[in-house]
Amino acid sequence: MIINSNNLTKLFITSTMIGLQSCGQSGQNTPTIQKLTITGSSTVAPLVGEIAKRFEAENSEVRIDVQTGGSSRGIADVESAVADIGMVSRALKEEEKGKLYGFVIAKDGIGIIVHSSNPVKEINDEQVVAIYQGEIDNWKEVGGKDAPITVVNKAEGRSTLELFLKYFQLKNSQIKAKVVIGDNQQGTKTVAGNENAIGYVSVGAAEYEIDQGVPIKLLPVGGVEATSETVRDGSFPLSRPLTVITKNQPEGLTEEFIQFAQSEEVHDLVRGQNLIPFQTK
Amino acid sequence: MKQEIIKSPISTILVWLVAVLVTGTFAWILGDIIFHGVGGISWEFLTTAPEDAGRSGGIGPILVSTGLILAVAMGVSVPLGVGTAILLAEFTSATNWFGRFVRRSLDILAGVPSIVFGLFGNAFFAKTLGLGFSILSGGLTLACMVLPILIRSAEEGLRGVPDELRLGAAALGLSRTTTLFHLLLPAAIPGLLVGLVLGIGRAIAETAALVFTSGYVARMPQSLLDSGRSLSIHIFDLSMNISGGDTNAYGSALVLVILLLMINATAAWLAHQSSSKYNDSYQFR
Repeated sequence: MIINSNNLTKLFITSTMIGLQSCGQSGQNTPTIQKLTITGSSTVAPLVGEIAKRFEAENSEVRIDVQTGGSSRGIADVESAVADIGMVSRALKEEEKGKLYGFVIAKDGIGIIVHSSNPVKEINDEQVVAIYQGEIDNWKEVGGKDAPITVVNKAEGRSTLELFLKYFQLKNSQIKAKVVIGDNQQGTKTVAGNENAIGYVSVGAAEYEIDQGVPIKLLPVGGVEATSETVRDGSFPLSRPLTVITKNQPEGLTEEFIQFAQSEEVHDLVRGQNLIPFQTK
Repeated sequence: MKQEIIKSPISTILVWLVAVLVTGTFAWILGDIIFHGVGGISWEFLTTAPEDAGRSGGIGPILVSTGLILAVAMGVSVPLGVGTAILLAEFTSATNWFGRFVRRSLDILAGVPSIVFGLFGNAFFAKTLGLGFSILSGGLTLACMVLPILIRSAEEGLRGVPDELRLGAAALGLSRTTTLFHLLLPAAIPGLLVGLVLGIGRAIAETAALVFTSGYVARMPQSLLDSGRSLSIHIFDLSMNISGGDTNAYGSALVLVILLLMINATAAWLAHQSSSKYNDSYQFR
């Protein structure tokens, strides 16, 4: 009986191993193809994915894999050499500039959004800070109706959060959020579904959603209207460069791809993702 | 007494209300997905590659990746799962300390959130074994995830086989292997299929574990070592990360639901076939 059960286990193990082996071989049959792995920010990933597709179409021997997971992961993966290029949806910090090379490929603004039925037209920076700290918890205190404010915040590790905190000089631990979200779209959906919510998302994405009839509106930040125009000309204070990063000075395929991603050839793709092309002069 | 209680109008209404609520929720979700998704589905949608980050174009490569991930997951987990179930049900008694230890571990594993499997898969399959972001990494991670479900339901299936069959086989002098392959496994097929359906259901719906293992690449996979985006990740990305991706998200969701219904129907049909065959050939009472 024991022998039988042993044979059975052996059978399973060998069959699994044969399965694995054949998988391994099929991948090694394509040595001529050069591969780039890019990981990081979910805001940048769809854009880089489209740029990569066009780059692949023009260079048939190249394969570019774009993975997502957030800016922090982009940095970690580049540092541990898991990825050739990382994506971060902000500028490199001073302490990162020594270790990493950053290349801006597009710009994006972060706008404060509320439900379109909300009568509030403008709130100043101090009020935003007070709302996010829970000191103001009713819309009537900032000129709205008598209703509790639902604060929507981004999850830890998201660049949008970091940028928001930096501009408003807040710490994440000070924020009393009722809803914590991950990706951009989740922000617009949460606010569109809650008349008393306040959140912050990409200006380009919010403009697109408003065009599509989603019931949200953008509030000015620091007195400047949140539009693609003000983000492009730099007058909108809460904007960020979408950056690709490398560990070493890029060369070869990596350099070619980054140059391609910064070139005018991809400006239509940048606009297609509701982002703002970045002019390198 | 009991009958009186059951027949009292309040409990009748309550029971009906609960039933209507449950089926109503299901019908609402299904109706919503069909209503929004049916317009987007066409042969072209099913076969072409996504364009413009998924806003337009189809889901061809994503369907292929999903199928491959599922095939790897099931190809690895079914033999391992059935093997372990045989060990637990046929070669160890219900009170054996080893069997109890394995069972307890499986129950704990079954309750582990999928993101933990994802992180494990990323650390072990993708990095330690060097498989990278690949369909293989994703499939193996899912295999680990569905193993507990598969094993427990296969074990239940085997334990459900009447002991008369084992005794009869022993009395006829059949070896244990023969008994296993010709009597017990065929008789346990309905139980195995339940496990398979639950496992496939969990695997095909998985998002969190796959982001870190099989990845986000929406290109047609050339081999199992390529990264491939699964349907569930595609739906998540379109609905949560891509503005204007909702139409295709609904289309993809409808495809996913149809796939699941098809798998369930096939399994139910197979179970019915095998159980009627089993009843015809092994009438022992």
